[in-house]
Amino acid sequence: MKNLDRIGNRISKEKDKDLRDKKSKVFKSINKALNYYKEEYKYTPLLKTLEKEFEILDSNLSKESNSNNYLKYLTNIKGYQIVIIDGIYQKKLSSIPDDISVNSFQKLDKNNRNIFDKIYHNSDDSNSDIFSSINSINHQDCLTIMLEKNKILKENISIINLIDTNNVCHHRKLIYCKKNSACSFDEVFINIGKNKNFSSSVSEIYVEDGATLTYYNQQKIEENFHFNSTNVFQEKNSTTNFFTFSFSGAMIRNNLNIKLKEKNCYANMYGFYALKKKSHIDNHTTVDHMDENSISNEHYKGIMDEGSKGVFNGKIYVRQKAQKTNAFQSNNNILLSDNAKVYTKPQLEIWADDVKCSHGCTVGQLDNDALFYLMSRGIPKNKAISLLLLAFSNEIFSKINDEDLKIKFEKIVMKELEKFNDE
Amino acid sequence: MLEIKDLHASVEDTKILKGLNLNVKKGEVHAIMGPNGSGKSTLASVIAGRDDYEVTRGKINFMGNDLTDQSPDERARDGIFLAFQYPVEIPGVSTTNFMKTAVNQIRESKGEKPLDAVKFLKLMKEKMKLVNIRQDLLSRSINDGFSGGEKKRNEIFQMAMLDPKLSILDETDSGLDIDALKIVSGGVNKLKSKENATIVVTHYQRLLDYIVPDYVHVLMDGKIVKSGDKTLALKLEEKGYDWIDAKN
Repeated sequence: MKNLDRIGNRISKEKDKDLRDKKSKVFKSINKALNYYKEEYKYTPLLKTLEKEFEILDSNLSKESNSNNYLKYLTNIKGYQIVIIDGIYQKKLSSIPDDISVNSFQKLDKNNRNIFDKIYHNSDDSNSDIFSSINSINHQDCLTIMLEKNKILKENISIINLIDTNNVCHHRKLIYCKKNSACSFDEVFINIGKNKNFSSSVSEIYVEDGATLTYYNQQKIEENFHFNSTNVFQEKNSTTNFFTFSFSGAMIRNNLNIKLKEKNCYANMYGFYALKKKSHIDNHTTVDHMDENSISNEHYKGIMDEGSKGVFNGKIYVRQKAQKTNAFQSNNNILLSDNAKVYTKPQLEIWADDVKCSHGCTVGQLDNDALFYLMSRGIPKNKAISLLLLAFSNEIFSKINDEDLKIKFEKIVMKELEKFNDE
Repeated sequence: MLEIKDLHASVEDTKILKGLNLNVKKGEVHAIMGPNGSGKSTLASVIAGRDDYEVTRGKINFMGNDLTDQSPDERARDGIFLAFQYPVEIPGVSTTNFMKTAVNQIRESKGEKPLDAVKFLKLMKEKMKLVNIRQDLLSRSINDGFSGGEKKRNEIFQMAMLDPKLSILDETDSGLDIDALKIVSGGVNKLKSKENATIVVTHYQRLLDYIVPDYVHVLMDGKIVKSGDKTLALKLEEKGYDWIDAKN
C-alpha cells in the first residue's frame, strides 16, 4: 500500500489521547491485517480497484454545510430517523424516540463514554481486515446509540446515510443494547454526489442479556464502492436478526461477524442479492459459538444476471465449550446469464462433539419446468419469470416479522425483480 | 376444434412424432392410448407448446388458427389446458395467487376486467367443491409437499378455474388410488359440456371406465395406428398392445 506514512502523521494530530492510543495501536498492526487480504479478498480485488480510483487513505474532511440543503432527500422517510451526512451525525435532521439516546462519541458524558469505551475499537475486525483498519484510523465522527434497560422500541428507526463527497467517506457506529431491551433499525446509504465514491462503514454492537436487536441493511449504490463491517457480541439469552439486501454496486464487501459469547443466544443472518450489469457483491460472515446451547441460522440467496458477480463466504466456529450448539447455514444462487459468476464457500470448524450443524450451497438456473407450468396456465413469460424470482426471494423476505417493513421491502424487491425479465 | 395434420416432432435429434393426424370436435372426448415411449406425453406437450420439442413438419390448427408459432401462454389464453402427468412443485408461489394471476391474464386477453378479490374468492370456493380440495391447500405453495392425489386434484381445480375449450389430461390416473380417481374423474365429467372437448392420454383402460371416450386412438411409434370407439380400449386391455403390432 502506498502512502502509509501519511496515516501515522495524521494519527499524531488526534487531540483525544485515548483515541490517539487506540488508533496508533491499529496502525501498528496494519501490516498484519494486510497479510489476510490476499486470501480474504481472493474474488473481490477491492484494494487494487480502489487504489486506481481514489486516494483511499485520505479521509473526508467535514465541511460546514447547510443541513437544509439535504431536506429534499429525506421527505419520503416517515417515522423515526437518524441522519448522517458524509459520516457526520446530524442531530437537527434526525428524529429520535425518547427511550433511546443517540450521540456523537465526542459528546458523550463520562458515564456513557465509559460504557462505549468497552466496545469502541475493541470489537471490530481491524486486526484482520485492512478496510476496517483504514476506517478505524480515518473516521472522524462516531455515532453512538444506546438503548436503556427493559426499553422495548415498537417502532423501527431508519438510519439514513447521505453521501455527498466525491471521494472517500468513513462511517463509524456503536450500538449498545442493555438488558432485556428490544429495537430495530433499517439502514441505507444514499449517494447524492455527482462522482463515484468509496464509503466504508464499521459498526461495533453489544447486546446484553435478554436483549433483541434487528437490523436491516439495504444496498443499492449503483456505480459506487462500499465496505461494511458489522461486529456483534451477544450475551446470554439475547437475539439478533440481520438482513442484508443488495441490489447494485460497483463492488460491495460486507463482513458480518457475530460472537455468541454466552449461553442460549440466538442469531439469524439473512441475505438477498439481485444483481445486473457489472455489480459485484461479496458477503463474508462469521459466527462464533463460544458457549453452549446457542442457535445460529444463516440463509443467503442471490440472483445474478448479465456480467454480475456474487461471492459468499460463511464461517461457523463451534468452540469446545459450545456443546448443544445448533448452527445452520445455506447459500442458494440462480444465474440468469452465461457471464454471471458466483463463488460460494461454506466453512465449518467444530471442536465440540454434541452439536447439530449443517451447511450447503447451490448454484442453478431458472427452473424451466416451473416456467412452462406457469405459462401453460396463460401467464406470459416475463410475468412468469418475475413470479419465479419473487418466489425464490420469498424465503428470505418472509422472515421479516415487522409487517410494515415486510411490505416495504417486498415492494422494493418486486420492483427490482421486474428488471430481470426483459429478454 | 383441433386439427392435427401430419405432425412430426423431435427432441434434440430424436424423432418422436412421425406423421400424426387427429381431429377433435367440440363436445367430444378422445382417448389416446399406447405403450411406453410411443409419444403420448410428447403429443400432449406439443399441443400445449412446450419448447423442448421441435415441430419439424405438419400443422396444429385450433379454432381455425395455426398454433405452431404460438407460445404456451398464448395457447392457454386461447383455451388449451394441459393437466400435467407430473405437476411441478413451485415453493414460494401460492396456488391462490397463481390462479388469480392466470385467471385475470386470460380475462385481460378477452378484454374483460380483472376479478376483484371478492368475486375471485367466490369463483374459487365454487370450483374447490368440484374436486373436494381444501382452501388451506390452495394457500400453500403450488404442489409443494402435496400427495400424488392432491396434485392431480389441484390440476383439475385449475382446469375448472380456467374453463378451457380443450383439456388434455396427461396420464391423470397415474399415482391415483381408486377414491382419488373417482374424485378427479368426477370433476372432469362435471366440467364436460357441448362446447368443450377433452383428450385423455392414458396407459390403462381403467380411467376410461370413469371418463367415457367417444373415440379411442392407439398411438405407436409416433403415429396413430388404430382408431375406434370405447370397445377398442377393452380389446386392448384384454389382448395387449402386441395384438396391434402383430396385425400391422
